[in-house]
Amino acid sequence: MAAAKTRASSFSRNLSAAAPSQGPGLKCGPNGLVFLSSGIPDLDKILGGGFPLGSLVMVMEDAEAPHHMLLLRNFMAQGLVHNQPLLYASPARDPRGFLGTLPSPAASKDNKSYETDPDQEKGLRIAWQYKKYFGENQLNFDGQKGSLSLDGKHEYSNEFDLRKPLDRHFLNRQHVDCVSIQDSPDLSVLRDRCSTFSSQFPRNDGSVSCAGRIAIQSFCAPQCAYSNMEWDMLSFIRSLKSMVRSSNSVAIITFPPSLLSPSFCKRWQHMADTLLSVKAIPDEDKDLAQLLTGYQEMVGFLNVHKVARINTQVPVILEATTFSIKLQKRRYLVLECLNQAPVDGSSGTSYGTSGSCSGSSKAGNLDF
Amino acid sequence: MAESICRLLRDGALEGEHAPALTIKDSIASPFGFHVFAHVLSQLSSFILAGKSQSRGLVVVCFSRSPSFYLELLKNKGIDVVSSDKRIQTLDCYSDPLGWKSRLTETGNFMACSHETSISRTTNVFKDVKHMDKLYNSIVELGKGLVGGGKIRFSVAIDSVDEMLRHASMSSVSGLLSKLRSHDQVSSIFWLLHSDLHEAKVTAVLEYLSSMVAGLEPLHQPANGQRGDMENFSLIEHNLKKGKFHVRFKRRNGRVRVMVQFSLQLSEKERIDKANVVLPFEHQGNGKPIQIYDGRRSLADSKHERPVGATETVQTSEDSGRGEIIYYRDSDDEMPDSDEDPDDDLDI
Repeated sequence: MAAAKTRASSFSRNLSAAAPSQGPGLKCGPNGLVFLSSGIPDLDKILGGGFPLGSLVMVMEDAEAPHHMLLLRNFMAQGLVHNQPLLYASPARDPRGFLGTLPSPAASKDNKSYETDPDQEKGLRIAWQYKKYFGENQLNFDGQKGSLSLDGKHEYSNEFDLRKPLDRHFLNRQHVDCVSIQDSPDLSVLRDRCSTFSSQFPRNDGSVSCAGRIAIQSFCAPQCAYSNMEWDMLSFIRSLKSMVRSSNSVAIITFPPSLLSPSFCKRWQHMADTLLSVKAIPDEDKDLAQLLTGYQEMVGFLNVHKVARINTQVPVILEATTFSIKLQKRRYLVLECLNQAPVDGSSGTSYGTSGSCSGSSKAGNLDF
Repeated sequence: MAESICRLLRDGALEGEHAPALTIKDSIASPFGFHVFAHVLSQLSSFILAGKSQSRGLVVVCFSRSPSFYLELLKNKGIDVVSSDKRIQTLDCYSDPLGWKSRLTETGNFMACSHETSISRTTNVFKDVKHMDKLYNSIVELGKGLVGGGKIRFSVAIDSVDEMLRHASMSSVSGLLSKLRSHDQVSSIFWLLHSDLHEAKVTAVLEYLSSMVAGLEPLHQPANGQRGDMENFSLIEHNLKKGKFHVRFKRRNGRVRVMVQFSLQLSEKERIDKANVVLPFEHQGNGKPIQIYDGRRSLADSKHERPVGATETVQTSEDSGRGEIIYYRDSDDEMPDSDEDPDDDLDI
């Protein structure tokens, strides 16, 4: 099958074997793509591996909640853990301050329980005829999840503990660059910085040695002097997209769509290779609490509008496009499919386990 | 609900967090924004003077009304203005916002009125409203003058963002507001906006910059835009006395809290009338025959009714007047329930 399925079934192509020379931060995918991780394992699975190099990711913010910051934090922290250079631009006076809030990778023993299932199964004797098929995939799972790894650096995609700040030594390296976009009257400074940054990772036919990450937060924030120059902002995005396309880097831009005029909002959305949006949840909403399982733990919704398809004409059709953002144990960001609450009120399934046969999905309800 | 707003402003900002910011927005259909602003101002002032709030001082930036107006207002609400000059300062952007008067005085063609030039202890005149960074510096300077340097915080009240937007661009005004919010010494900030004076984008920007949005909306939307209709007149008249108070809080856990309250308590008169309303079962046992109140009145009758609070019957008590509960059905399309009327046992 040409289209890569995101569900891990016994017929899926074995995509998880990363070329070791590229290091743990990069993964090969179909159609000659190389992915890097978004920092959120669930999001990587949803998008079919991660963010492909050369793509532009745009996140539509919700003015009422700072969930886009969660996505940015994980993205930036993942890059630093994998030693991938980072350029961060924000409308704050001192963007460096934000680096202090980046999360640290969780220690492996704190990882979610589904990863210990294979170990648990060894103690059990299950008379189940499909176990022999499942066992092959499990070996790959183990190898990829790296339950043997000690410091998390060898994993492609880390779980981040949002309560623990990133070690200082990651931040003190030379390749973290910050730009404040508040006072610049136009976008030439930012454009130059992005250009010099992306030229460090030229794309050629050889193997990818290093990849870079560009993160621009709240691009059209009202306190930026250029924020009413809509055509200029659009042409900046276009030139950023071309810079990123011709280099081994990924750029992520977050912006609040309510501050743009509708026609420009549409244009910006069309510029994106991967388009996500985050939405706030009303608090203490009884109707929503009755409608959805796990409402109490949800902090917001994530919508996947578009997934990058480079080098192919086959579109990706996701099973679900709306996910709830939850903070597990108030530390780990997980994305879950929305499930209607059943009568007995059991919790929904995480996207990661939706393909596994051994996980008992108690829900079995309507998926949106 | 106004209490929760004032409480959030009183509690202020946590370390490393932006200061809570409130936008009060209204429109001509429900023009009670200034009442809300005045209420919040007086509440916050009393908290500050009583030492119950995080902030130890208040800077009131006056654009649409003179500083003496606010000092009078606070005095009327029982706040001791004379002793509070160490806690409350006003920045006068009302008397001479563009510096014209001082320039005319310099050329000698203009004799400034003596009461204008009297230097009050609590007010400072600001003459350069086109430059937001200068305004920012003046506000911060005033605030620091009140509370000193270091970690002590002060609050800022801006009476009209509309006036600021007349003189300066949207991005410089947003820059000022966001810089104030992120200043270490600002505890909370609130401002008033008349949303129909601007394009929708301006309201969207100010809502983006704030952590609480209190909107005033009319209770009844007029059916069509025609102003000449008799029914619409009464609707508009009622909208001028009552309104819907709609607040959105951006909470720290990333969720949004929405609260709606109908019918604001706006005037003394209304408060007295409310106190005079005879509650449903209160009058039973007085020896008078019991009459059941039927809440159904069609909207067409409303123009024949007296407006709320107006009375003609004079009772022997000092505070004359009998308040009334006036109930409007939400829509005329609803068929009045013939069999089950939940208000059947309502007894006034």
